[in-house]
Amino acid sequence: MDEKHKQRVRERYQRALQHGEKFWPDSIYKDVLVSFALFLLLVGLATFVGVKPEPKVNPNDTTYLPRPEWYFLFMFEFLKFIPGSIEWVGAILIPTIGIVVLLVLPFIDRNPYRHYSKRVLALSVMGLIVLDIVLLTVMALVPAPTPEQVFFKNLQRLAGLTIPGLTLVVLFVLARVVREPASQRKAMLVVTGLAALGMIGASLATVFPLAASAPPKEEEQIFASVSEQIAAGQDLYSTYCAECHGPEGRVTEIQGVEGLDGRIVTAINSNDVMYTFTDETLRNIIRDGWPESGMPPFGMELSPNEIDALVAFMRYTWDDRIEAPAEAQAGGIPALAEGEVPSYDVHIEPIVKRYCLSCHRPGKENNNYLMTSYEEILTTGDNAPNLVAGDMDSILLQVIQGHEVEGKTGTINVMPPNGKLIKDEYVQMFIRWVEAGMPQTADDAAAAAP
Amino acid sequence: MASKVFEWLDERLGLNDMYKALLDRPEPEGTWWNTLGSASLFLFIMQGVTGIFLLMYYTPSPDHAYDSIQYIMNEVAFGWLIRGIHHWGANLMVFIVFVHMLRVFTTASYKYPRELTWVIGVLLLLTTLGLGLTGYLLPWNQRSYFATTVATEIAGLVPFAGDFITRVMRGGTDLSALTLSRFFATHVWVLPATLALLITAHLYLIIRHGESEYPSEED
Amino acid sequence: MGRSYKVSRRDFVKLVSGFFGTIMGAGIALPAIGYVLDPALKSGGAREQWIPLGPVDQYQVGVPAPFNFTRTQVNGWERTSSSYGGFVVRESETDFKVLSNICTHLGCRVAWEETENAYVCPCHDAAFTVDGEVISGPPPRPLDEYEFKIEDGNLFIFFKEG
Repeated sequence: MDEKHKQRVRERYQRALQHGEKFWPDSIYKDVLVSFALFLLLVGLATFVGVKPEPKVNPNDTTYLPRPEWYFLFMFEFLKFIPGSIEWVGAILIPTIGIVVLLVLPFIDRNPYRHYSKRVLALSVMGLIVLDIVLLTVMALVPAPTPEQVFFKNLQRLAGLTIPGLTLVVLFVLARVVREPASQRKAMLVVTGLAALGMIGASLATVFPLAASAPPKEEEQIFASVSEQIAAGQDLYSTYCAECHGPEGRVTEIQGVEGLDGRIVTAINSNDVMYTFTDETLRNIIRDGWPESGMPPFGMELSPNEIDALVAFMRYTWDDRIEAPAEAQAGGIPALAEGEVPSYDVHIEPIVKRYCLSCHRPGKENNNYLMTSYEEILTTGDNAPNLVAGDMDSILLQVIQGHEVEGKTGTINVMPPNGKLIKDEYVQMFIRWVEAGMPQTADDAAAAAP
Repeated sequence: MASKVFEWLDERLGLNDMYKALLDRPEPEGTWWNTLGSASLFLFIMQGVTGIFLLMYYTPSPDHAYDSIQYIMNEVAFGWLIRGIHHWGANLMVFIVFVHMLRVFTTASYKYPRELTWVIGVLLLLTTLGLGLTGYLLPWNQRSYFATTVATEIAGLVPFAGDFITRVMRGGTDLSALTLSRFFATHVWVLPATLALLITAHLYLIIRHGESEYPSEED
Repeated sequence: MGRSYKVSRRDFVKLVSGFFGTIMGAGIALPAIGYVLDPALKSGGAREQWIPLGPVDQYQVGVPAPFNFTRTQVNGWERTSSSYGGFVVRESETDFKVLSNICTHLGCRVAWEETENAYVCPCHDAAFTVDGEVISGPPPRPLDEYEFKIEDGNLFIFFKEG
């Protein structure tokens, strides 16, 4: 660049300053307004969208699909076009070249002019790259084509790699070959426009069908507070642990569990366990099991979040050195007021969860009587119906009061099967519930009250 | 009285000179596109402020990182707001910095005499991305764990030195407490300090050469 | 031409900038204050309970017997266990005194020194009598006492957190 050109640039800048503005307050005023808008946007996003909760680290979860931040997604998508054997080209070489080109851009771009009409090559190249980044990001947001969907795969490669790559080459060739500025500009614009259309068309043609095929996502439970953890831990305990360890963790000899019947275990609610096992130890035992004592591993069935919840439940319920947060103690099975009619949602479900569900769920030996929902309790089972509204001789009412019953499948045992009936208070709740016609919601129960 | 205090201070600090040099500068006429740089700076300051507050509760250890963030989100007053702003501010900052760069490219503002401003700007972009990458791991959740695994794996593709680079990034062969604490240190000190220095240089160059004017036909 | 109240564009612009700047400052500062103060404002529900110290018979008249116990508390995302301790002083068959071992000066833990017949604080050489009265050193008041009760021949002390 010669001195004369520099001189011209400086003179023109001085002229621009003549009819310009002041940094303070004219520019700062605009800056503050924009910053304020961003501030409102941030507060709005934090308030109304929030941060998506994520489950705790679980390196064993092989189903987890890793996703980078959205601004690296285009790189992530781009890597799919590169064969594994030369992955370093896509992952290292091309990004490095990109960064170096950006860094030294002012020294590569020898074109002394600044006006848009004199920088068609630069602007075209930039436009194509930005468009490619946007399209790659969009393509990364929808599910990747399966190996059978070769057509989509090729279309994506065309949009993300082939067209932009070839167009860049063509543009640079045009810059060398067509020397006349007006026709060079025209040719470049046409090539860029066509390429852009092709890229947009090809990628959108894959985006919609693939987006439609996205399977619904399963959300993992995340517990917000210690109280929520304890409540969830209680449910998990009833489902997974109570079968062997009993609803209160008192069991020392396992009864009525296939394969483990008669095995002597430590009462897990004892101070021996609570004082000597740290949370970490408890977590490990639940996750990996304890083969010597017959404890099976639960690491495959339960996520780390759920195991944490279980440990929190055990710790806060049984460890007498620790007091649970006030709001967590209120949980559990609510007592029945004088003259109140119990409902499934409020009273029966928590009892069922704590005392029955560990066996009466799919995959257990239970005469096919499942108790995971209101409908199932009323209708399932080989001896169905186990409950009839208003019928005091209903099978379920009989067995929880300690009477064996003859049913279609033979003698039906007293429940729960380990010889210890549930609290009389809870039995009475069941009886009053059946008397009142087994209302499901609290509103139904209020309506059924005399 | 107030004017006397001001005079006394001005004599020692040179407040008036500073005002003239920093604020009372003439500029070419600008548009709203010219606010993107200051918007990036604003977001950096917001990130700094909210980040410092997050440090009050956050614990960079695999045992406690996740729980401490749960605590911030659910128990501490306005914890959700501070973390929310930090989370979205990070995303927005990358976006604004990118658009700012596009604007500078489009108006060819990187040409004489502002070449160095551009070079430093690219370094600012890289540092911002680095902050995003290191900050991503800190919540120690599934998303961050696997994203960081992939990111460090990619660094491992560098010919010859790859394995070594991955091990340096992870502080060992696997993602561990060492990874978390080195990412943490990088995220809260190394990169923000770098960014602050680069911003100072960027701003100095802007004040030295003035904001660029929009190109006219004859440019 | 009288006094003009018209605001120039420049002044308006300055005013607006200052206004929005202040709103942003306050918008982040006020929540931040709540955020920082939060743990201090939560009571944590000061716990009170009777701690058993065993049968009364094991305490000899005139010899301070040290005891200690541990309580666990949930602080944020972690359980913290704190140790508390003190001395049971049996003054006669019927009279007891339960002293805390926390020096009233700056909170160091005092120990009973047989040879000096005093509780001695390791930090600033304070000394207390067997009853907890200050003998020498900087402490402003005697050692604190635990409230206690005797039930069925067992000694209990009243523990209040915080």
